[in-house]
Amino acid sequence: MIITKKRDFKALLENIANYKSFFLIGCSECASLCGTGGEPELAALKIALEAEGKTVTGTMLPKTGCQTLGTKIELKKDKDACAAADAIIVMSCGAGTQSAVEIFPDKPVYPANDTLFLGNMTRFQMFDERCSLCGQCILDQTGGICPVTACPKGLLNGPCGGTNEGKCEVSPDIECAWVRIYNRMKKINRLEDFKKTLSPKDWSASRKPATRIAREEKKEEKK
Amino acid sequence: MSLKSALESGKFVVTAEVGPPKGTDIKKILHESELLKGKVDALNVTDNQSAVMRISSVSFCKLLLEMGQEPILQMTCRDRNRIGLQSDLLGASILGIKNVLCMTGDHPNAGDHKEAKPVYDIESVQLLKVVAGLNAGKDMMGNELKGATDFYQGAVVTPESNPIEPQLMKFEKKIEAGANFFQTQAIYDIDKFKGFMSYARKFPVKILAGLVLLKSAGMANFMNKFVPGITVPQNLIDELKEAGKEKAMDAGIGIMARHIKQLRDEKICDGVHIMAIGAEDKVPEIMERAGLL
Ligand code: SF4
Ligand code: SF4
Repeated sequence: MIITKKRDFKALLENIANYKSFFLIGCSECASLCGTGGEPELAALKIALEAEGKTVTGTMLPKTGCQTLGTKIELKKDKDACAAADAIIVMSCGAGTQSAVEIFPDKPVYPANDTLFLGNMTRFQMFDERCSLCGQCILDQTGGICPVTACPKGLLNGPCGGTNEGKCEVSPDIECAWVRIYNRMKKINRLEDFKKTLSPKDWSASRKPATRIAREEKKEEKK
Repeated sequence: MSLKSALESGKFVVTAEVGPPKGTDIKKILHESELLKGKVDALNVTDNQSAVMRISSVSFCKLLLEMGQEPILQMTCRDRNRIGLQSDLLGASILGIKNVLCMTGDHPNAGDHKEAKPVYDIESVQLLKVVAGLNAGKDMMGNELKGATDFYQGAVVTPESNPIEPQLMKFEKKIEAGANFFQTQAIYDIDKFKGFMSYARKFPVKILAGLVLLKSAGMANFMNKFVPGITVPQNLIDELKEAGKEKAMDAGIGIMARHIKQLRDEKICDGVHIMAIGAEDKVPEIMERAGLL
């Protein structure tokens, strides 16, 4: 899921200083799980804005905020409340915020959150980054642990000289990715994979902005 | 004599290192380099060591060449992508630089520009392959070069890394990728190092034992605590302590001289790499006391 954290409320207030009324949009997926854009957070932001003398014309929790078309359809029922607002505040990730930008071409839209990374939720509201969307997965060659993400240097061929009894030179809070990979490969009897030299990554596979039309591929496959 | 010829001649080789300063005043490093001239076989020039921004390694290597010294260009992958690295390697080659030490490089987090974007487009093993490619007249994409390089390729290894197995597997990858010689992370336990050498001797590479000058018991304790892959045994720490504050540096010089002598007399490795870290002026004395001068 996409991990977000609340932006500084003061910075948000500065963004919206010139506007009086707002419509708030959350997201029932990642932002709800992160505690940054679910029902309780929508209600809390409403109260906080009202305490600052602002008006909230309505709030809405789309099923999946980054699903632009679906969110647009869901928002139909809030047409009047949206029309009454000077600006929109979105409490999801940057993608959800930009769904709103597309849906409201003539209204200012502001993000309530900072978007951090693609993460695994390991426990309640505890998140770990394990994949950095590199576009060409090498988990098949690294025992299923991603060094592109878990090693701060993104090394592909074993630990650097800074590895320290299983900890990373960058921070003792980080487990050295390459020691983890070594231990796992040993456990699953794949140390042979460790011996292979991995080639430099093809970074063109993660060039931005990316687009993808999967449905055309399906059509091709059917043919 | 080039580093390559020196190592291949079978003589016990000594390298040391100098770190270019931050700023354009290079009096001190020129003086240190001058002191080492004719004594060491080659001088490493560090590449923004510890991720602290300083004068580029290539530039100072060129000055060393002009002084008639044999430089070893340290090259890390932290600050340049594959285009920058290859371009700088070609540049180093036309300046007459013959030795390149390929390293991954300390993370910017360790340095004085913590907000820098770390590059690590490629890493040490891959960089060694790139250099081998340039030597063979091809860039990383297989494009033909108009004029190849002729680098003698170095790499680093940490013989006391913990755990050691993945470190050794990487060491073997570096050899496969084209490393000709290694400079090790600092070692202090010669018996343990013998163990590493009996393994490393299976490979057709030259090994220079890394030695860091101990200046005080405090420094030794600090390294034990904070520098990964370095262990200073208690008996050496005691030796420094007993020497007292005033004489600690002298004791440190004595320890290093003794180690060098043993490494050479027992033919344990092919040479040493002396890291004096700020006390480069002591290197001649160390060599003298080791019986090398
Ligand atoms: S290799 Fe790339 S795609 Fe695979 S987990 Fe790592 S970052 Fe994600
Ligand atoms: S210590 Fe391990 S995780 Fe940290 S940078 Fe080095 S190889 Fe990567």
